[in-house]
Amino acid sequence: MSGHSIDLLVIGAGWSGLMAAYTAANAGLKVQVIAKGLGSMHWAAGSIDLFGYAPDAPDTPIHRPLEYVTGKLAKEQPQHPYALLGKDRLVAALDSFVALTHELGLSYGGAAQPGENLMLPTAVGAARPTYLAPQAQLGGDLGRSEPMVIVGFEGLRDFYPQLIAENLAKQGIQARAVLLPFDVLTDRRDSNTVQQAHGMDDPARRSRLISELKKLAKTGERIGLPPILGLDDHAAVLFDMQSQTGATVFEIATLPPSVPGMRLFKAWRNRLNKMGVRVDSNMEVVSAQSEPSSNGAGPSVHLVESATSARPMKHRAGGYVLATGGIMGGGFNSDHEGHVWETIFDLPLTTPQARSEWFNPVFINPAGHPVFSGGVAVNEAMQPLDGDGEVVYSNLWVAGDLLAHDNPILQRSLEGTAIATGFAAAKAAAAAS
Amino acid sequence: MKRIDTEILVIGGGATGTGVAWDAALRGYRVVLVERRDLTHGTTGRYHGLLHSGGRYVVKDPVSATECIHENRILRKTHTHCIEDTGGFFVVTPEDEGDYPDKFVAGCAATGVPCNEISLKEAMRREPLLNPRISRVFEVPDGSADSFLATHATAQAARMAGAQLLNYHQVTGLIIEGGDGEKRVVGAHVRDVARGEDLEIRAQMTISATGAWANVVAHMAGISISVIPGKGTMVAMNHRVLNTVVNRCKMPADGDIIVPVHTVAVIGTTDERVADPENLRIEPWEVQLMLEEGEKLVPGISRARVVRAWAGVRPLYQEDYAGSSRDATRKFALLDHKERHNIDGFITITGGKWTTFRLMAEKTVDMATSYLGERKPCITATSSVPGVDQGPYWLGHRLHEIEEKKLQGQLVCECELVTRSMLENAVRQNPTITLDDLRRDVRLGMGPCQGGWCTYRAVGIVHEMTVSETGHPAESGTAEWDVAYMQSPARNVSSSASAGAPAIPDDERALFNPNLLLRDFLQERWKGVTPILWGQQLKQERLDELIYLSVMNVDHLPDRDLSSPVTEFYRYDTTPNGNLEAPE
Amino acid sequence: MHTESWQSVGPTLDECIKCNICASYCPVAAVTDLFPGPKFVGPQAQRFRENGQPHSPDHSVDYCSGCRVCNEVCPTGVRITEINTRARAELAEEHGIPLRNRMLGRNDVLAKLGSIVPGLANFGLHNGLSRTLADSVMGISKGAKLPRWANDTFAKWMKKTAEQRLKSDKKVVYYHGCSTMYYEPFIGKATVAVFEHHGYEVIVPEQGCCGLPLLNNAEFPEARKYHQRNLDWLTPYARQGYPIVGTSSSCTLTLKEEAPEMLDMHGPEAHELTMAVWDIFEWLRELQESGQLQTDFRPLPMVLPYHSPCQYRAHRIGSPSLEIMSLIPELDIRESHARCCGGAGTYVYKKEKYQIAMDVGAELFDFVKEQGAEVTMTSCNSETCRWHIETGTDLPCRHPIEILAAAYGLYDLDTRDLV
Repeated sequence: MSGHSIDLLVIGAGWSGLMAAYTAANAGLKVQVIAKGLGSMHWAAGSIDLFGYAPDAPDTPIHRPLEYVTGKLAKEQPQHPYALLGKDRLVAALDSFVALTHELGLSYGGAAQPGENLMLPTAVGAARPTYLAPQAQLGGDLGRSEPMVIVGFEGLRDFYPQLIAENLAKQGIQARAVLLPFDVLTDRRDSNTVQQAHGMDDPARRSRLISELKKLAKTGERIGLPPILGLDDHAAVLFDMQSQTGATVFEIATLPPSVPGMRLFKAWRNRLNKMGVRVDSNMEVVSAQSEPSSNGAGPSVHLVESATSARPMKHRAGGYVLATGGIMGGGFNSDHEGHVWETIFDLPLTTPQARSEWFNPVFINPAGHPVFSGGVAVNEAMQPLDGDGEVVYSNLWVAGDLLAHDNPILQRSLEGTAIATGFAAAKAAAAAS
Repeated sequence: MKRIDTEILVIGGGATGTGVAWDAALRGYRVVLVERRDLTHGTTGRYHGLLHSGGRYVVKDPVSATECIHENRILRKTHTHCIEDTGGFFVVTPEDEGDYPDKFVAGCAATGVPCNEISLKEAMRREPLLNPRISRVFEVPDGSADSFLATHATAQAARMAGAQLLNYHQVTGLIIEGGDGEKRVVGAHVRDVARGEDLEIRAQMTISATGAWANVVAHMAGISISVIPGKGTMVAMNHRVLNTVVNRCKMPADGDIIVPVHTVAVIGTTDERVADPENLRIEPWEVQLMLEEGEKLVPGISRARVVRAWAGVRPLYQEDYAGSSRDATRKFALLDHKERHNIDGFITITGGKWTTFRLMAEKTVDMATSYLGERKPCITATSSVPGVDQGPYWLGHRLHEIEEKKLQGQLVCECELVTRSMLENAVRQNPTITLDDLRRDVRLGMGPCQGGWCTYRAVGIVHEMTVSETGHPAESGTAEWDVAYMQSPARNVSSSASAGAPAIPDDERALFNPNLLLRDFLQERWKGVTPILWGQQLKQERLDELIYLSVMNVDHLPDRDLSSPVTEFYRYDTTPNGNLEAPE
Repeated sequence: MHTESWQSVGPTLDECIKCNICASYCPVAAVTDLFPGPKFVGPQAQRFRENGQPHSPDHSVDYCSGCRVCNEVCPTGVRITEINTRARAELAEEHGIPLRNRMLGRNDVLAKLGSIVPGLANFGLHNGLSRTLADSVMGISKGAKLPRWANDTFAKWMKKTAEQRLKSDKKVVYYHGCSTMYYEPFIGKATVAVFEHHGYEVIVPEQGCCGLPLLNNAEFPEARKYHQRNLDWLTPYARQGYPIVGTSSSCTLTLKEEAPEMLDMHGPEAHELTMAVWDIFEWLRELQESGQLQTDFRPLPMVLPYHSPCQYRAHRIGSPSLEIMSLIPELDIRESHARCCGGAGTYVYKKEKYQIAMDVGAELFDFVKEQGAEVTMTSCNSETCRWHIETGTDLPCRHPIEILAAAYGLYDLDTRDLV
């Protein structure tokens, strides 16, 4: 990939894009990230779902997800992204991510028994299977036996402790709820959890909450809170909370914007900057040019152009990772005539091209909605394939929610596939350079 | 078995039924109204929201046109706050040639519908997105109406006049006395759907105001009447697009009108005869047709975001009629079954349109009076329902009030600007069984995200109210039923905690299971978006799915076996299974 | 009232999926309840506004600083800032525009007046008494730093030095803007030196204020006149194929995109101008890519905190200033990721918004402080931001072109003059 000031251009700044950029930069590539805006990390719970529910047993959470996806799933669904990746790359990606979080001071961890799914309480009090979670969520592990007090704030619109406690209790988990006055949380009249979390960065503000928590927690109880334990200074806030209350304090993720996701995004982006990787948002790729096949390698991407305030801006790189997200992230668009297309390269998709085949009449459905399972088919190197199984562009790799043959929200595998395929795409790009 | 005795039993809680209850109660009759679901759940809550000037009928149906303009003027006084004075245009597009515009002008003059031709320039100034190839524009006093609020307000007025209104009460049979030639309807067997109890309501006069379902009730009396259910599909755009009602100046046809109502613009409608007024499918070709026709009025509209689609069913009455439903008359039909079928104590009112509901009610009660004996005269035309002091509806009112009272931090439904107190007061002050009821009360979940954020919040809040230590369950039917200011953020700055806990009788508490409320509302919203999910709305739905599956895991909550007897129909298949092309 | 531009800007509200990323990154909503956040006042409130409404339903949109951070982070492409600017214009149409805002909107007129007798004007504007008066009577914040009139305008200097100016076949048109003209002619001098260092002859045609202050203060009809004037003056050069290069990142953004979009001026000549306008570093980056950038840099051994201003980021061209400055030996640039300096053009000059501007700026001011005591100056592309950053940090702030000119040995960063 000589002759370009950039070795690898990553398009998209969600989980898969950042993982691809980080991995490629670690491999010594000169990398740049451009994105239309910020996305996936700011929406979900901030944990790494690896695999939660198997299609043939949708009611029972997968106990040992790594084993499952590299075993049974890989056998039964050989086109699933995890099957394409194989165990080694998947494990290496997860290890690399965990190491990164330690470096960032936002450590992620898993269940007490390695290889098992964590079960964490959700903002409605359901038990959610996930594989790796930020330190602040681990305290809520439902595999542990200590009783919980779920603490909310009167009038906080994104967190309902009584609902959480009641549903946890129905599942045999000892939980009670307490509502504190809103002004313990913030003096703002109008704020969201991100702003409330940022408020807790201020030591005076958090000591007020700590003194209230000390009053209400009973010995041996864990304290569950909305995700408000600091934004930029999260580690210190969590430390103060736990050391001063003497209790395990944990966060329960709730509606977007995702505080845990935003913490990670900010720290991760800063890390990339320090590694010499620019991450620019507000750069929407509007067109791409390809070059015909040379030396038998098949056609390749020549450049992409992003919209600016005037002329489109050209971005040339040796290789490109497409990580624009699927339907949710904006990597796909669709219209009323039933067309679904990939927005930059118009890559071939497996998605049914008729609205009549998109949906199931029942929203909550173990079979999911077919429109969400379609996407870009890739080979083991994450290169997009056409209908004949030929590589579409020799220097383009695809990662994340764009990939075909899975429904990551239904299966609870969104971040797992994103991180692992982002990792694999970057590795493949590095190997090609 | 519980038994209620009354003079008049009204079946049907739409605009007409509540109108009848209001009128009859004001005239001094004892009235009970039963509705099998929430008020407005039938056709009233599923129309495009047009307050007719009568313009649409001046050529084809002059009697209806005159009725419309007459009632249009009255409703602006009796239901002021439920109506927006949008004005209306009849526009001649390049496809609308011929002499219809001249007939239209003549028809307006003949029927008394005020009509002014305005310059194209003036029309474009007011509506810059209109098709610039339009050649003529006529202005008429169309408006748009909130049929949920108007009906609730009518119902409250009826209650204040002494009527008893029971929603989620389904008629399972009419009580008929006497044999051949002597038959008399003396009331109805009614099932309290929510509680699973049967009761008997005895009445001297039973009035069926069940619209497209009129034949279902008639069958209970062993007779058949010619009501054609005419399905109309509508799509709502994500924002207003226009601020004036715009009609094509031609014989009424599919997709020839755009009605700005609240925050959306509704393109309407198709018109299909259906056998069953329940379970209305929305065919892809219908959605396609609405967008294509909308394009002729507002170029580019088919590329704008559609937020929802639904179908309503017109009750079209025509004696011995077999043609296409649009050609049936829109005049209402008041059927005296004594005269027609020799069945005493039974009247059917059907047909007509929302704009004429008050007049229909007046004529119906007049007929009942001829059997029950004269009481006071009809005064609905000069009365007003609670809440009219707020003045005419204007789009900005919620935003303005949120700003004035600094309520931004209280918003539960951010799209439609519903505050926590509005929600709590709606729960406390009028009967609520599902979140969908609250949607009709305060517009919860009706905006772009279609419940993405507010479903969780509303469930959390309703749950908090039901478990609150200070709360005490009220007796059945003791809700204040105060809906006058239900939609005003400024009038709901604080919760009416003095009203105590919500009026949830103990035996209905099972329906307030939060997990059930949550699942049901998600399904209800899904039902209305599947016909129009593509582009931005599909992206939105995927984000909503992320919230409820990945973040919340609601598909693995406890109480999965629980189901509500009142929400079964949320699971009707509305997914786009058919073709984009209309059948020949 | 909705003009046609509602068609180009308004419908992006349909892209909003309510995700609140904008609300989480908005620097103004982060510090005050007076601004309910970009989603609320933008795509959300827009659904409650209509043509011919009895009155504007909301006023808090006036607290939008126009920084565009919301546009930058929005994953779906909602042009939130533009929706807000339009809503402010509707407010202005309804309530009228206060004299103060009219003044701030016509900075060019004020600047021109002051330049007639700069010494007197500076005294008149900068003494404590008049600032107190301006604060209490007009609502112009006392704490905000006002620029000083230069003794000579940039035009006078160009005229004076006409003989010395390079003649060449390679020509570039310089759009200097009002600030360089009247307050900071040294920016123009540095720019001309850099152009000539690359062998370009500099054409400085007749030109006027880009109209941004008018747009920000909701005077759309007047802004339309301003833009038309510039079209008349500048488009002929665009047609001849000359690049029109500017140093003020907000002026070039206005010429390129904001004016045509907000004012519905989508004619062919507006498009020609858009395509011909360049930010100076965007233009230099093109030189670099074609191997024509001069790289005879002298080392500049210093730590330099650099803030890419909001208006610059809104060009969506990456950070060419940073890229070019990074070539300078021994210059240790520390890029700030602060969202906004807080100044936001004329925002900080409005008394009721001054504290908000300072609170917003804290993120940047703290960043500068964290870079250590060795920091002697900072850098930023936009003039009003530089003034505000100087207020917030007590350190001089230089345009990157000054840094570059210094690295070429053409300019003195302390005296702010050519060497």
